[in-house]
Amino acid sequence: MEKRIGVYICACGGNISDYVDIEKVKESITGENAVLLAKTTMFACGDANQKDMDSDIRKNDLNGIVVASCSPKLHLSTFRAVSERAGLNKYNYVHANIREQASWAHSDDKPGATEKAILLVKAAIAKARHASSLEPIKIKSKKSVAVIGAGIAGIKAAQALSAMGDKVYLIEKESKIGGNLLNINRVNPESETGEEIVKRLSKEIENEENITLLTGHRITSGSGNIGDFVLTLKGNNNPGEDNFPEKEINVGSVLVATGFESYSPLTGEYGYGQLPGVVTLAQFNKLLKGQNGMSFVAFGKEVKSVAFIYCVGSREIKGDNKYCSRYCCSAAIQSALDLSERFPDSDIYHLTRGVRSYGKQELLYKEANRRGDLFIQFPDKEPPVIEEKDDKIIIKVKDILSGKRELEAETDIVVLVTGMVPVQDDNTGSIFKLPRGRDKFYNEIHMKLRPVETAIDGVTIAGACQGPKNASESVNSALAAAAKSHSLVSTGELELEPIVAYVDEDKCTWCDECSKACPFNAISVIEMFQKSIARINKSTCKGCGMCLPVCPTDAIELISFTNKEIEDMIDVLSQ
Amino acid sequence: MEKEKINLFFDAMVIGGGIAGGESALNLANNGYKVIIVEKDLSIGGKMIMLSKVFPTLDCSACITTPKVSEISRHNNITIFTESDVNSVVKMGERHFRAEITRRPRYVVAEDCTGCQKCEEACPVIVKDQYQYNLIGRKAAFIPFSIASPKIAAIDIENCTLCGACEKACPSNCIDFTQKALDYVIDIKSVVVATGFKLFDPLKIERYGFGKFKNVLTSMQMERQLAPTRPFNTILRPSDGKVPDKIAYVLCAGSRDDSEGNPICSQICCMYSIKQAQLLMGALPMADITIYYIDIRAFGKGYDEFYEQAKGMGVSFIKGKIGKITKGERGDLTLRYEDVSTGKIKEARHDMVVLSVGVLANDEAVPMFRSNTLLTDPLNYIRQEDPIISPAKTSIEGVFVSGTASGPMDIPDSILSAGAAASQATAYLKRIN
Ligand SMILES: Cc1cc2nc3c(=O)[nH]c(=O)nc-3n(C[C@H](O)[C@H](O)[C@H](O)COP(=O)(O)OP(=O)(O)OC[C@H]3O[C@@H](n4cnc5c(N)ncnc54)[C@H](O)[C@@H]3O)c2cc1C
Ligand code: SF4
Ligand code: SF4
Ligand code: SF4
Ligand code: SF4
Repeated sequence: MEKRIGVYICACGGNISDYVDIEKVKESITGENAVLLAKTTMFACGDANQKDMDSDIRKNDLNGIVVASCSPKLHLSTFRAVSERAGLNKYNYVHANIREQASWAHSDDKPGATEKAILLVKAAIAKARHASSLEPIKIKSKKSVAVIGAGIAGIKAAQALSAMGDKVYLIEKESKIGGNLLNINRVNPESETGEEIVKRLSKEIENEENITLLTGHRITSGSGNIGDFVLTLKGNNNPGEDNFPEKEINVGSVLVATGFESYSPLTGEYGYGQLPGVVTLAQFNKLLKGQNGMSFVAFGKEVKSVAFIYCVGSREIKGDNKYCSRYCCSAAIQSALDLSERFPDSDIYHLTRGVRSYGKQELLYKEANRRGDLFIQFPDKEPPVIEEKDDKIIIKVKDILSGKRELEAETDIVVLVTGMVPVQDDNTGSIFKLPRGRDKFYNEIHMKLRPVETAIDGVTIAGACQGPKNASESVNSALAAAAKSHSLVSTGELELEPIVAYVDEDKCTWCDECSKACPFNAISVIEMFQKSIARINKSTCKGCGMCLPVCPTDAIELISFTNKEIEDMIDVLSQ
Repeated sequence: MEKEKINLFFDAMVIGGGIAGGESALNLANNGYKVIIVEKDLSIGGKMIMLSKVFPTLDCSACITTPKVSEISRHNNITIFTESDVNSVVKMGERHFRAEITRRPRYVVAEDCTGCQKCEEACPVIVKDQYQYNLIGRKAAFIPFSIASPKIAAIDIENCTLCGACEKACPSNCIDFTQKALDYVIDIKSVVVATGFKLFDPLKIERYGFGKFKNVLTSMQMERQLAPTRPFNTILRPSDGKVPDKIAYVLCAGSRDDSEGNPICSQICCMYSIKQAQLLMGALPMADITIYYIDIRAFGKGYDEFYEQAKGMGVSFIKGKIGKITKGERGDLTLRYEDVSTGKIKEARHDMVVLSVGVLANDEAVPMFRSNTLLTDPLNYIRQEDPIISPAKTSIEGVFVSGTASGPMDIPDSILSAGAAASQATAYLKRIN
C-alpha cells in the first residue's frame, strides 16, 4: 500500500525550538518520499495539536505518523493513542526524539543540533515507510495479586485490593504482621502506638475472605509475566528446620512492599558499640517504653540528660547514603517529646544538620522548643565528637546557630538518629529484576506519571521499599499501588505489545545461542519439520532484541525492527 | 418563573480539577466509574499546569501536565464542568449525595470556538492577566493561556464594555452575550474533595515591600517567567525590563510564622526555590543567586542530592531570616538580615527579590456540605479522620480528600494521595452494605 505520512515537529515550548530550528527541520523533510504533510507545533502533546492530528489523519487518509518531540518514554503512548482515536492502527506511529537526543544534548551547538534533528526525523520517516498495522497480544490475567511484605504498606494494600474485589495473598517472612511499625512508641501525628495501629490493621483484614495471609513465608522464586506470575513460597516458621512444603501461587500482579531497615551504625561511629549509653533511636524507644519507675534508669544509672545526633547514616558526606531519610527528624523530636512527657526534668539536646520537620510536623518542632529542648546545628563536615570521661559521655560540637561556637556538654545517653536503608537480604528485587535508584531503593518508572509502577510490567511498589517514607506516606503509596495493581487484574484480560521476536524456521539450526542470550527466558526448543528449532514465547518476550545479534544464521527478526527497517534508518543517518 | 434545573447522574464527583483531582478522576474512570469534575476556573490543571519545570527531575511541567489533562478531558467516563460552582452537597443516604451546581456563562459557545484568538486581537480592553500572575496584560475577550484545557475563549464580563468588537471578529460566530448561568442537580454516590491550596498573600508582610517595589516578585511570578509558555522571552525585572544579575530568594515567606497565623512549614518552597535557582543559572549564566533560608527541607527521594547539586552549581545559601527589604538605587533592593553563622546583622544588595510564598488551606469546600459537617483541622485544611491508616477519609463517610486540600504537598505526594483517594472511593462504591 502506498504510504501517506504526516510529520509533526514539536517546539516543546522552547525546550526544543530554542536550540533546534524547527522550521528548517520542517522544510528539509517536506517533499521527502511519502511525506504528505509536515507541520510544526508549540506543544505536540497539547490538546489542540492532538485534535489537529486527529483531523489530519482522517481528512488525508494518513497511514503513517511521525512526531518529532521528546523521549518516547514520555509520549510514545500519547501519540499512539491519537492515531488510534483517528482510526489508524497505533503501530503506524513512529516517534523521533529530538529533545533529549538533539536540543538538550547539543544546546551549545545550534546548527549541529538542527542538523542532527533533521537526520533523526528522516530516519523516523524511513521507518514509518515500513510501518504496518499490528494487533496487540491478548492474554488472560489472573484476578489475584501477591502482596509481598506485611508492614503497614502491605497490609493496607491487601485490604484495599480485597475491598476492590481482588483475591490477595499477603506474604510476610516474619511470624507476625506489622513490620517496623511494631517498634514505634508513638506514631505522629496521632497518639497511638505502633502496636495499637497494627492491631487495628489486623482487624481490618482478619475477616476479609479475599485475603490469604501467609506469615512465616518467603518467596524463593518467581516466573511468568504480567497477568500470570507463578511464585514459589517456602515456610520458615521453625528456624533450623526445613520441614515446610513448598507452595506455589499464581497471580496476575505482584505488589512489593518489603519496607526498609534501620541503618545500623558502624562500631565506633559516635562511640556506638564501644561506649555504653550510645544507642540508636529504635533502641532508645525501647528503653523508654520499658521504664516504669519514677525516674529514668538505664545502663545502671539515672538518666538526666539525653542528646540526639541526627542524620546518622543519611546525608553522608563520605559514605554512600547521600539521601535524607525524611522521617527521622520528626521521629527523633517525637521521641524527645515522649521523653519530656514521662520525665519532664530531662535535659534534651538535639544535634542536627537543620531540622526537617516539614509540613504540619513543624508543630512538633515548635512544641519541643517550647518545652525547652536545646537545638544545636553542627556543620555538615564537622560532626560532633563523643568522648568518655568518668562514666559520663562528653559531646563536643560546633554550633552554627551561635556563630560556630564550640560547645561541650555532658550527657547520659546519646541517641543516634539512624536513617532508613534498603532491606539488605531482600531477594524480591533479584527475583523480579527490579531496578534500583541511586539510593539503592527500588525505582519507580516516573516519579510523577507512574510513581508506583516498575520497569517490570505487572510489578508495583509501595511504601518505604521505594524510598524513605513515614507511616502515612507509606499508606498513600500503598493505596495508589493497590489501585494500579487492581486495574491490571480486574478485567481478567490484558493486552501486550506485539513487538516481539520471531524465528525463521528454515534458517534456525538450534545452536541454543539465542536462549542463552535472552534475559527473560522467553526462548525454548521445539521439534518441528524433523528438526529442533527455537520457539519464542510471545507473552514473555519483551522485544529487547538481545537474541538477534547472537544468531549465527540470522534466523531471528524483531517485529517492527526488522533488519531492512534498521538498515534503511542507518542509510539515512549516514547520509 | 422558576428556572429549570438539569438532572444528571454519576458515580463520583471530584471537586477541583488540579493534578490531584485529575489523577483521582482518572483512576476512578479507569475502574469503570462515571465521574464528573467540577472546576471553578476556566481551565483544569490547577497550579501545576502553570509551573516551569518540576523538581527534582526537572521535567517540563507542561510536558507532564498537558497529556494528563488531555487524557482526562477525552476519557469516556469523565465529564468536566469548568467555570462552575458547587453550591451545595447533601447526603441523602449511603452512596447517595445530591449536589447543586451552577455553570457560569463563558459568553462563548464552547462547541463552536476554535481558539483562533481573533476575538482577543479585536478586543480593546486590557486588564491584568491573572494566569501570568499579573506580569502582563490580557484582553477582556481571551483564551486563558496557551495550554489551557479547554482551549477556548471566554469573555471577562466584569471588564467588558460590550463594544461588540469580538462578536464581529469571531469567524465562527460563537460569542453569545445572552448566555445565562445553568443550574444542575447532580446525583452521585461519592465525593472527592481536591480543592488544592491557596498561596500566601505577600502584601500581608509589609516589610518585604511586595506591591511597593516592582522588583520584589512572588515565586509563582518567577515560575511564569521560567515557564516554556512564559510572558517574556527571557527573565526580566519588572521596573525597567533589565535582565537581573543578582537575585535573592526569601524563604519561608508567610510560613513557619506565628505572627502571620501560619505556624507550619509549607513543605514545597525550599525545593521549588532551589529548582528555580538552578533554572536561573541555566537561563542567566552570569547571574548570582542567593537563597536566604532558615532550614533547607530537602527531604524527598533525590531532593537532598538536588540541593547538593545546586550548591555545586554555585548557588549561595545563607542561613538567615530577612528582617526588611528597602529600596536602593535604580530599582535595586537592600535586604537586611541576621546572618546566623556569624550572629551579625548584615545588609546585601540585590536587583531582584523573589519571595518564596507558602501554602495556605483552601477551605471553600466546607460550606458546600449541608447535611453533614466537613471538619477541618486547626489550620483549616480538610481534616483527615484517620491520617495514618486511612489518609483519604474525611468526617463524612463517602467523602474523600485528595492532594493539597488536606495539607501542603509537592506533586509526587499529591499524586500518591490522589491514588489513595481513588482507591478508597472505589472500595466505598463497591461495598454492598
Ligand atoms: C511556585 C511554586 C512552584 C512549585 N514547584 C513545584 C515543583 O517543581 N515540583 C513539585 O513537585 N511541586 C511544585 N509545586 C507544588 C505543586 O504546585 C502542588 O503540589 C500541586 O499543584 C498540588 O496539586 P493540587 O491538585 O492538590 O492543588 P491545585 O493545583 O491547587 O488544584 C486545585 C484545583 O481545584 C480548583 N478549586 C479550588 N477551589 C474550588 C472550588 N471551590 N470549586 C471548584 N474547584 C475548586 C482550583 O481551581 C484548582 O484547579 C510548586 C508550587 C508553587 C506555588
Ligand atoms: S530527616 Fe532529618 S535526621 Fe533524617 S536524614 Fe533528613 S535531615 Fe537527617
Ligand atoms: S527479543 Fe529479547 S525477550 Fe524476546 S526472545 Fe529475544 S532476547 Fe528474549
Ligand atoms: S465586547 Fe467586550 S470582550 Fe468583546 S471586544 Fe468588546 S470589550 Fe472586548
Ligand atoms: S519548605 Fe522551606 S521555605 Fe517552605 S516553609 Fe518549609 S522551610 Fe520554609
